[in-house]
Amino acid sequence: MSGHSNWPEWIYVGVVIALMVWVGAEAWEAERLVEHVPADAKIIKVTGQQWFWTFEHEDGTKEIGELHVETGKAYKFEIESKDVNHSFNIHDYVILMDAIPGRVNTVWFAPTDVGEHDIQCREYCGLIHYNMRGTLYVEEPSS
Amino acid sequence: MKKLVGLFLVLAVIVVIPAIESAFAAGDEPGEYLDRRAVIWNLFFRMMTIAFVVGAVVSGTMIWQCWRFRESHPKAKPTAYEGTDW
Repeated sequence: MSGHSNWPEWIYVGVVIALMVWVGAEAWEAERLVEHVPADAKIIKVTGQQWFWTFEHEDGTKEIGELHVETGKAYKFEIESKDVNHSFNIHDYVILMDAIPGRVNTVWFAPTDVGEHDIQCREYCGLIHYNMRGTLYVEEPSS
Repeated sequence: MKKLVGLFLVLAVIVVIPAIESAFAAGDEPGEYLDRRAVIWNLFFRMMTIAFVVGAVVSGTMIWQCWRFRESHPKAKPTAYEGTDW
């Protein structure tokens, strides 16, 4: 068609592609940052089972239903399940990771402020799923 | 050409430099850990901003097209396939 110009369409296509690339890059970058575990992170083994959480620190100390950590330190959770699928969630620290039988999933965080935070299961896992809770105690560093 | 250079300079300031900074900010130094809450919620709010801006631009364009290309618009012209019997 003579006199027809389709440059607005090409600009539209370019803007859409640029936006998609930008959104993808931002999400990729955030994921890369969040998954970068610090080398000195202390490992805490987290085990989910119907219907409570068990925690085991590097020194062998075990806790049930509550977890004590210290500010200024990084912790890497190694999460697994003994029976069915669970999901380990500390909402205040944006931690959410599935606990799957026969598989170890990892997630890390570094608590910043002293306080108490809820731990809960976020995958329906049976009758008492609603009460599969725990408490995270963030304390001042002991040393 | 100058406009292109200007455009890329602006893009560098608003996209590339903050991305590089945040990449290097993920240090391994004890006590200088990344705050995952900040990273994740920042991403969420940025994505929401983009989503709402795109939604507003797209729906605004559609509304403008309906308004501008209605038959009763003062500047409306018949297209070839509509004939010239207006």
